[in-house]
Amino acid sequence: MLTYIIRRLLYSIPVLVATSFLIFTFVSITGDPLGRLRSNPNITAEQIHSIEHSKNLDKPVIVRYGYWIRDAVTKQFGTTLFGNRKIWPDLRRVMGHTLQFILSAIIISAILGIAIGVYSALRQYSLFDYTATTLSFVGFATPVFWLALMLQVLMVQIFLKWNVRVFYTSGLSSSVNAGHGFHFLLDRVQHLALPVIALCALSTATYSRFMRASMLEVLNSDYVRTARAKGLIERRVIMRHAFRNALIPLITVIAIDFGALFAGAIVTETIFTLDGMGFYFVNSLFASDPYPVMAWLMVVATMVIIFNLIADILYGVFDPRIRYE
Amino acid sequence: MRSIPPSGAFAPNPTSPVPEPVLSIRDLVVEFSTEDGIVQAVDGVSYDLYPGETLGIVGESGSGKSVSTMSLLGLIPQPPGRIVRGEAMFQGKDLLKLSKKALRRIRGKDLAMVFQDPMTSLNPVLKIGFQIGEAIKTHNPKVKDDAVKQRAVDLLKLVGVPNPERRVDQYPHEFSGGMRQRAMIAMAIANEPSVLIADEPTTALDVTIQAQILEVLKKAQDETHAATILITHDLGLIAELADRVIVMYAGKVVEVGDVSTIFASPRHPYTVGLMDSLPKLTAAEEWLTPIPGQPPSLISRPPGCPFHPRCFLSQGRARCREEEPPLRPIDESAHLTACHFAEELEGRAGHLVEPVGAGT
Repeated sequence: MLTYIIRRLLYSIPVLVATSFLIFTFVSITGDPLGRLRSNPNITAEQIHSIEHSKNLDKPVIVRYGYWIRDAVTKQFGTTLFGNRKIWPDLRRVMGHTLQFILSAIIISAILGIAIGVYSALRQYSLFDYTATTLSFVGFATPVFWLALMLQVLMVQIFLKWNVRVFYTSGLSSSVNAGHGFHFLLDRVQHLALPVIALCALSTATYSRFMRASMLEVLNSDYVRTARAKGLIERRVIMRHAFRNALIPLITVIAIDFGALFAGAIVTETIFTLDGMGFYFVNSLFASDPYPVMAWLMVVATMVIIFNLIADILYGVFDPRIRYE
Repeated sequence: MRSIPPSGAFAPNPTSPVPEPVLSIRDLVVEFSTEDGIVQAVDGVSYDLYPGETLGIVGESGSGKSVSTMSLLGLIPQPPGRIVRGEAMFQGKDLLKLSKKALRRIRGKDLAMVFQDPMTSLNPVLKIGFQIGEAIKTHNPKVKDDAVKQRAVDLLKLVGVPNPERRVDQYPHEFSGGMRQRAMIAMAIANEPSVLIADEPTTALDVTIQAQILEVLKKAQDETHAATILITHDLGLIAELADRVIVMYAGKVVEVGDVSTIFASPRHPYTVGLMDSLPKLTAAEEWLTPIPGQPPSLISRPPGCPFHPRCFLSQGRARCREEEPPLRPIDESAHLTACHFAEELEGRAGHLVEPVGAGT
């Protein structure tokens, strides 16, 4: 198992090298970062040249790629093009925020989705099952920006009407009363609640559908019949024989979701002005600063690779038929 | 194997007077509701199972042989399945009227089952030893874990799994098909059941493995003295293992008798047809002789004898079309047939080669 993990990590090095090259070339050729300066009549051609020279923008792409890789490895992605702001501290901060955000969302929607899916399968064609099915389709069909806006409207209305602050509608913490310990935690929960709910709507719908289908298949399997024929109590048949097997396909879905969501739920983060990965990416794009965008893409690519690996490892943990030598 | 002491005094003895049956089924009717209508999978089946005997149930796919036994254990999904009526007396209780809890206590303990496909019948994520141990532990919760494991090892040894101390900690995918079926048998006999139901135990296996599994089944039976119901469509298997045979067709019992009687003088045209359709080693034939036509739809049963549209004996006689033949004694009392004109089959011997090693 350990050799497998090490081998997979080694394999991911060439993947990352190729990714870094593609990221750099594509981001470099898609736009001129100095375009806005060029069109500014107050800046002379001399000044532009001097900036180009100092930032090595006058060199060929392949040479600049070399500089960029060097900075990425030795100087933690270096600095932004404008303002010489260090990239890594910002990136690390937004990663932390996104992690809090999506971890809560995934844990909640996984628990809800699994519970709903299992119960739907056990009571197939019951009122609960039909309700869950309908609601999950509503969850699939609801655009996340609409849901986010509605949640904000709702909270604002509650605040205006009863003067009760249930959840905050934007940001990550209130600068005034974000104290320490429990108060800080409560404040964070109140801020994260709405974006998490918005994100959970879709994930819960997905996971519950997956779990239901998987559970139904397993419940009709021969080994569940064998377990019943042994005289096991039904709870044990469900939990030990059906549930564990039904969970296997969902593990992959959730782990890969995690990697993908790490790129930040861009829409959700923007609406709630969450200082996370998605928000950071959008801001960097608008600033037409290529280096934070590249650094962001590298981090996301690495996360996708890592979570795919985690998905494979978890697969092996749950399913003895898959052993990595 | 010393680990399994004889659990009952009913050693099979054909000369003794007829003992009390261990399992007695009367007028069992099982339906399934489907989109096309209600399927009568089992339609008024009655039979007895005597201590220590092997009862073969033979019939085509869909003749109701599996459903008739699985419904006893409460293993058919309800819905869509439904036990309409009937009685299944076992240890003085009617299995069909027991509560779920009471039935569960019997299941896997006194009534155990070996299923058709060992590749899918074992849980892929649990160790073999655990799955066998679970069968023991459920019915004997006080047994210590290492005793359970030791028993699992002993059982694996009994069913001929080599190196059982190591194999007990392996997963099903590390077992071959034949080995998995041995493990299934070990699981079934773990609690020394008084009735063992083997539902097509060799169908999914390689021909060369089938004979070995039969040996294991015989051995398991000898060790536990369980009365065995052997469900199969393989007449060779019946000849090899069974003492008595029930022939089922379209959810009904059409012929019952001792294995030697049935093979020597079948008295139902369907049984004759089954035997004729087997390849014969003694004759060089280019074509097999199948039974013409298809089994009837169990949704809209034809009136009269269910077999009459395919029957060579009927020859269009009105009685076959109109009147459903009851199961009646013929020749001798133990031989029953459900054919109006069974007597016309007199003198017609079965085409199968002599049963080898039939009986115990």
